[in-house]
Amino acid sequence: MPSITADSFKTSFLPTWCPGCGDFGIWMSLKNALANLGIGSDDGFLVYGIGCHGNMQDWMKIYGARGLHGRALPVAQGIKLANHKLPVICITGDGDCLGEGGNHLIHAAKRNPDITVIIHDNQVYGLTTGQASPTAQPGFKTKSTPTGATDTPINPLTLGLTAGATFIARGFAGDTPGLTDLMQRAISHKGFSVLDVLQPCVTFDKVHTYGWYRQRLYQLDKEGYVPDNKIKAFEKALEWGDKIPIGIFYKEDRPTSEEVEPALTGAPLKDLPLTVSNIDGLLSEFI
Amino acid sequence: MQSVTWKMGGEAGYGIMSSGTMLCRTFSRLGYHVLATNEYPSLIRGGHNLITVRIATQEFASLNKDVHILVALNKETVDLHKEELTKGAILLFDPKDHTWQATDFSKEMQLVAVPLADIVSEHKGDPVMRNTVALGATVALLGTDFSAIESVIRDQFKRKGQEVIDNNIAIAKAGYDHIKTNFTNQSSMFLSKGEKKEPFLVINGSEAVGVGAVRAGLKFAAIYPMTPINSVITFLADHAKELQLVYKQPEDEIAGINMAIGASIGGVRSMVATSGGGFALMVEGLSLAGILEVPLVIDLGMRPGPATGMPTWTGQGELQFAIHAGHGEFPRIILAPGDIQEAYSLTVDAFNLADRYQVPVFILTDKYLNESQWCAPKSHFQKDVATNRGKLVKEEELATDGSFGRYSLETDDGVSSRSLPGMKNGFYIANSYEHDEQGYTTELADLAAAMAQKRLSKLVAIQKVGGAPTVYGERDSEITFVAWGSTKGPILEAMKLLGSKGKKSKLIHFTWLFPFPTEEVTKLLSPVTRLVDVELNTTAQLAFLIREHTGISITEKILQCNGRMLYPEEIVERISKVT
Repeated sequence: MPSITADSFKTSFLPTWCPGCGDFGIWMSLKNALANLGIGSDDGFLVYGIGCHGNMQDWMKIYGARGLHGRALPVAQGIKLANHKLPVICITGDGDCLGEGGNHLIHAAKRNPDITVIIHDNQVYGLTTGQASPTAQPGFKTKSTPTGATDTPINPLTLGLTAGATFIARGFAGDTPGLTDLMQRAISHKGFSVLDVLQPCVTFDKVHTYGWYRQRLYQLDKEGYVPDNKIKAFEKALEWGDKIPIGIFYKEDRPTSEEVEPALTGAPLKDLPLTVSNIDGLLSEFI
Repeated sequence: MQSVTWKMGGEAGYGIMSSGTMLCRTFSRLGYHVLATNEYPSLIRGGHNLITVRIATQEFASLNKDVHILVALNKETVDLHKEELTKGAILLFDPKDHTWQATDFSKEMQLVAVPLADIVSEHKGDPVMRNTVALGATVALLGTDFSAIESVIRDQFKRKGQEVIDNNIAIAKAGYDHIKTNFTNQSSMFLSKGEKKEPFLVINGSEAVGVGAVRAGLKFAAIYPMTPINSVITFLADHAKELQLVYKQPEDEIAGINMAIGASIGGVRSMVATSGGGFALMVEGLSLAGILEVPLVIDLGMRPGPATGMPTWTGQGELQFAIHAGHGEFPRIILAPGDIQEAYSLTVDAFNLADRYQVPVFILTDKYLNESQWCAPKSHFQKDVATNRGKLVKEEELATDGSFGRYSLETDDGVSSRSLPGMKNGFYIANSYEHDEQGYTTELADLAAAMAQKRLSKLVAIQKVGGAPTVYGERDSEITFVAWGSTKGPILEAMKLLGSKGKKSKLIHFTWLFPFPTEEVTKLLSPVTRLVDVELNTTAQLAFLIREHTGISITEKILQCNGRMLYPEEIVERISKVT
């Protein structure tokens, strides 16, 4: 059997992202991570949201579903419960899963399904040509915030931590090797992994450029940070400004939502027979 | 007596609903036909709760207006319901609540005072157990041996341990003995022998949907709690382990339908259940199921809206909503059971239809059907169930050249073969955008039109298997009722009453509502001279649908939108007014 490489996911479509878009780095890292983990076109499932990120599905040959705006995570959880042997990854954006689908992120984290959610986080709605996203930093001028964003931005890391996600990490779209490594760790983690990926929007954001990020980003693990403490993770996750940490903030082992389901101890639901073996027993409670 | 109607009323939280169920089980086991309907406000304690149980030797389809025994757990119950009592009815009350006199009633009454609270405290029971005393007393009033209810109490409390069982039996027995000792000549409500021969289930509509679903092979349900479908949650959650299924409580109905869609893509039979407000949240997801061509079953339990409306009451206001819900155009199937057996059977059918045509299928139920306790032959629920997963391919059937098209346009019925994620050579993307045969996004004019046509062409295929309405009653009738869903029972009983007055009538009852069986309905309705539409809504939604598809206009309508089911007597009365 031919081994799986980044090229295994090639389709006849070419990316339509703007040249220089951070999505390219995320896409490349994902293909590398999947190939390194031995997950080929038939071996995993990607659920995409709506936004620039979701367009990836047309140039990504792997089983997938492209849901409604904000609703990727519920679809992902449904498929995971139907077939808990299947690796499931959710490709989503800051508007998709922190705006429209914020509630689903919170509740997915609480349940801890073995799903990795990769958030394309660029502070802006690209597909609708440049409005502020839920992560827009105060003062950020966009088409919907002409005098600068005024709200407190949503922090996907602290949100994930509070809600109960068992793997919290942040990567950078301009660092493909680093991001590939983070993705592999997130996908390999047994439980709900939130991977926030900072990415420049080269078209609608002239402030948060590759250079802007590169000046500020630093690797947590190089500072000897150990991601095993929720309080410390909070402190690190709240850092934003001249220094912005990337890497793994928090990791814990907790039973997954599949492991706590009594019906999922063996074969996936999809392979179980449709018939009820003890009809008489089932009906006896109604006599 | 051949038929006795018994009511128990009091404050919520006093076991009134469960008393009705236990009484139903007791008499069903003895060979009687039973039906229990509850009425209650949307709260947990306080307020007025009521259960009405009809017990009869012969089969019947609904309650009627005569009430023979009223068990009052407070004074308010008598104030609210004394006018419903028939002449000679029994009022069972606790003199501690109020001392009732014959002069308090406009009709002749039999006053049966039972010290409910005192009996409970003598047996060191919880004050809420007054209902248990009354149940024991009821069994005595109906002329039945105490052993009949003893076994039901044992089953009801078996999870709570022997002490609770013994205490309940002792308290019920004290109620029974009180009647036997103090009302020795009280035999006016003694029932004739029950005539059922085979075992019957006592089951509510929502549970029947649950049993139908698991018989059809349901493996996943994501249901946000909402009246009136909560029983199906309890049923599925209780049996998740033994039946090897997953019930997930989602954060909202939006998540619920999207989870169910995900599970269906994954390859399992999945469903959601909700009421109007929850379904309103699911509408966007319904449209997703439409474009993804995902099999999905939706149990939509109707209650009066708009908005929160009257959450614990019944209605038929969502037919047109279910037909038109969703942005964009896509096929769907809408079924509506009229009774408990249909609730079970149509649920089984719904899963087969969903798989066969890869469309969302609705089961339109309502609070009356879902929360009433019905009886039906056990054999009906035991029969072999045929399952049809439609064009779901096996991995070995897939071509190895990568040519598989999940949304292939080459179909004879609009339904393309479906692979499951993980199958070698079955790759596709379930894409909410318009897509090509493998699911890649497209905006090409011809392809987009062909895909839309492919999906919609399923309606033609579905129409060929669609069910014609069922006709009940006499062929040459002067009155023809037209109805759908759970008004069936009261209409069937109304037809009996009309028959006894020499008026012939029939019922054309719809369980299959969409795609509309135009040809069959036109044939059935065209020769009829007097059509009467009966619905629990204000806009005559079925009549509207019939006119839309057949051009036949039904001018006589019996409509009700007060949250209550019609009584047969009310139908007869309103027919007379219409005449």
